[in-house]
Amino acid sequence: MTAGTDTVGDKSAPTGTDTATRAGSTRGRLVLKGIHKALGGKEVVRGIDLTMEPGEFLTLLGPSGCGKSTTLNMVAGHLLPDSGVVEVDGRDITRLPANRRAMGMVFQSYALFPHMTVAENIAFGLRMRKVGAALRRRRAAEALELVGLDGMGERYPRQLSGGQRQRTALARALIVEPDLLLLDEPFSNLDAQLRVRLREEVAALQRRVGTTTILVTHDQDEALAVSDRIAVMAEGTIHQLDAPETVYLRPATDFVAQFVGEVNVLDGIAAGAAADGHRCRIGDSHLVTATPVGTAPGDGEAVRLYVRPEAVRVLAVPGKGRPASAATPDPASTSTRTAAEPGLPGTVEATRFLGTRVRCVVATAAGRVEATLPFGSAVPGLGEEVFCAWRPQHASLTARP
Amino acid sequence: MTRAAEPETGPSTATSGAAGKPFAASAGERARRLAGAAFAALVGLFLLAPVLVTIASSLTTTSYVTFPPKGLTLHWYAELLNRPEFLDSFLLSIGVAAGAAVVSTALGLAAGLAIHRYPFPGKSVLDRLFSSAFAVPTIVLGIGLLQWYAQLGMASSPLTLLLAHLVLTVPYTVRLVLAGLAGLDRSAELAAAGLGAKAPRVFWHVTLPAVRGPLIAGAFFALITSFDDLTIALFVVTTDMQTLPVRIFNYLQYNYDPTVTAVGTVMVLFAAVAVVIIERVVGVAHLFGADPED
Amino acid sequence: MAATARVAHGPALTPDGPTPAPGVSRPVKERGPWRTGLLLASPAIAVLALLFIAPLFMLVYNSFRTQAGDPTLHNYTRFLGDSFYRDVLWHTLWIGALTTLGCLVVGYPFAVYLRGRSPRARNYLSLVLLSPLLISMVTRAYGWLVLLGPKGPIADGFHAVGLDAPKMLYNDTAVVVGMVHVMLAYMVLPLMGSLDRIDPALTPAAKGLGASGWTCFWRITVPLSLPGMLAGSLIVFSLTVSSFVTPAILGGPTVKLMPYFVYTEATSNLNWPYAAAIGFVLIVVTTVLTAVYARLLRGRGGKEVFA
Repeated sequence: MTAGTDTVGDKSAPTGTDTATRAGSTRGRLVLKGIHKALGGKEVVRGIDLTMEPGEFLTLLGPSGCGKSTTLNMVAGHLLPDSGVVEVDGRDITRLPANRRAMGMVFQSYALFPHMTVAENIAFGLRMRKVGAALRRRRAAEALELVGLDGMGERYPRQLSGGQRQRTALARALIVEPDLLLLDEPFSNLDAQLRVRLREEVAALQRRVGTTTILVTHDQDEALAVSDRIAVMAEGTIHQLDAPETVYLRPATDFVAQFVGEVNVLDGIAAGAAADGHRCRIGDSHLVTATPVGTAPGDGEAVRLYVRPEAVRVLAVPGKGRPASAATPDPASTSTRTAAEPGLPGTVEATRFLGTRVRCVVATAAGRVEATLPFGSAVPGLGEEVFCAWRPQHASLTARP
Repeated sequence: MTRAAEPETGPSTATSGAAGKPFAASAGERARRLAGAAFAALVGLFLLAPVLVTIASSLTTTSYVTFPPKGLTLHWYAELLNRPEFLDSFLLSIGVAAGAAVVSTALGLAAGLAIHRYPFPGKSVLDRLFSSAFAVPTIVLGIGLLQWYAQLGMASSPLTLLLAHLVLTVPYTVRLVLAGLAGLDRSAELAAAGLGAKAPRVFWHVTLPAVRGPLIAGAFFALITSFDDLTIALFVVTTDMQTLPVRIFNYLQYNYDPTVTAVGTVMVLFAAVAVVIIERVVGVAHLFGADPED
Repeated sequence: MAATARVAHGPALTPDGPTPAPGVSRPVKERGPWRTGLLLASPAIAVLALLFIAPLFMLVYNSFRTQAGDPTLHNYTRFLGDSFYRDVLWHTLWIGALTTLGCLVVGYPFAVYLRGRSPRARNYLSLVLLSPLLISMVTRAYGWLVLLGPKGPIADGFHAVGLDAPKMLYNDTAVVVGMVHVMLAYMVLPLMGSLDRIDPALTPAAKGLGASGWTCFWRITVPLSLPGMLAGSLIVFSLTVSSFVTPAILGGPTVKLMPYFVYTEATSNLNWPYAAAIGFVLIVVTTVLTAVYARLLRGRGGKEVFA
């Protein structure tokens, strides 16, 4: 199950707003202003501006080399920005060395100290803060329990499984009650199943302790599944910073659309606002509706639409082909087009059975449109004439670059 | 983790005291880098000083050794030519060294292939012996060889010296060949064989190129090891048959003039050529067990 | 070469077989490869057996004989019973320990410095590091003779600032300086190997948890480089206590170590059994000491590091 199919429901409102209500989330407000950083003569971070609310879970998502890890390392204090300001709770910490910040970081390799036991690893931060041995032991035991590693304190890292190492690293980062929790690709060394399970655990834990968290990843599923907001990054800048649903359904740029899952890209001409979105002409006469990202385009302007395959519904044309949706379990996905609904006519060119879904390729005036039909949908026959339609809030519309 | 934190562990204590103090990262970093470079330069000077001094003082016009040299002359090199015993020793050394290089390369290739590829009894013992032999005290080996040769009734000859040097050089050539073979993808050989190449051709065109670098390096390393050896040679040579290092060592007991520095310089140049070749083909660090990733 | 031929034809004979490369995947059970292996290895085995193991056995055997060839323990009782020789042994071990310490003190920071350099810089510095090993020990020792001599550049330096130059030649200092110079590479290379195996994220991780640069170094880098320190120390110590040439040239008449007596007993006094006994004592003492040292270092919480 991908996060995408989840979100093509009706709960389209961003959920980022509820973060302020999380338990204990009164500190850890991070502000990045105009951060620039060059490494090895190449500018890898080019102007990052970002504000995080206390308790928020934000993901920096992007391909390798997009500057997301560099940004994280500047927050952690391992790198000094060339320009710009890092603020936590209103305090400028830009030039504060890493060991005087209060950041809990989990590294891709976990960076557990191989010569220390799990308990010693976890208590390291307390030891550096001169906490007494007895208290250290108690707090380490609590932390072990928190991440479900009770009784493993005397083991050494090499005796742990990948998942246990990851949890140890998490406990070590959280025990110092950091301003922020920084996760640098923490799931990438785990196998696929464990990765999904652990990311759910981490998200649940984060909700419980309420620490403001930044996750760095190149995995869009991961980002969609756990984040309050996602910052999609490429070439050192943030392309879009929005709730997962918004990023997924209404990508702001070509890059975001294509990096975060599959997408249909349709070019058209803006044709005026409507109650439910913005009308847009595709080909000579077909009108579709989409939601503009940013400022609405003026009439006659060249625009680009992004529609996810899951959002496309394939509708039978009345009076043609098979009778309308006799045995369709999900009328939202495949049904007959109502007269008023805009849509894009086309011919079914191919259908592919993908196990849980069916992929349907429709040739239209704007090129091929791919649709993913949920399990159990009636599958249109090859060559059948159909309409491709979607809810306006499930398609985004931007000025054509 | 509860939020009711002990005050001393709270993050505010961890940072607030320092918040006002800007971190002079660039200045501190630069100072540290400078100190590191200065230290490394000192160590480098320490390592190179004796050689530089030897070379420089061989050019002095004085009849005694001094540094820095007074004036510049090649007189002491010319003087070498008037000393047939140095020339004889040089020829003996180079002959033995060349022999040791050829023999230990051949033995190293054969043994390396055997250990890498074939199962045979005692293989692991052999492997371990080869990787530990270089740490054996040469002085003890020298006296052992002296007594062993006497037991066998073998009189001192260039051959006995060459054989003695094999103990020093073969472990290195074996190790180098093994490293080269480890880098060779066995499937490349199988692929060549699958394409119809006969065994000798596979060996010649696929296996040998993979170990060519290690073989050349091993040969030159054996050459300078044998050429420079003094400890073993001291026990194996006679007064009539002295290698160059032995000749210098004995000469030094009674003389203190720049002739020796001239000989030393010749030996350094000799080693330098070998080192450049080794460095080109495999990298000198590999000879002494540095990680191959370096 | 018979086995190579069989391997070579294996895939060709069974092109569609379930085992695509029978020559490799199947453990070879025939006797052919055995014979080929032994045949190829035999010259090297002969070298080790006849020129390495046999001489060492000869040495041990002779050490229990009189010069006439009768069995005796006299060589050992003479050595261990004479305080002069016991002092020589202590002196030798002391020089070995000082040299090891010197190599650690100079070599550790150097290895740390090398760790942070580019591959290219590392390569050049490694070459400099290894240069003493590639140069004739006579030349090397002679260079130190000039440098440390009473008219050498270092003495000149002292005089230039109006100081009396200390005696730097023909004493322990000269020997240790000369030995550290040769042995440094044997310390630095294993150290570099150890340092390279440390996950580079460990230091940032420790810093992020509040550790200062020094704390990171002492609590993370040093413990994790113990294996390299151990390996380097063992090699340096073993090779130093058995070195003959450098102490002989730089130590002069006052610094006479075990190898010197092995040499003079064997060549001047022609007392081969006694020379053999001294050599054997040297080997045994070195082996025992290095084993104890290794045990101590491993015992110190280093178990996980060495695992």
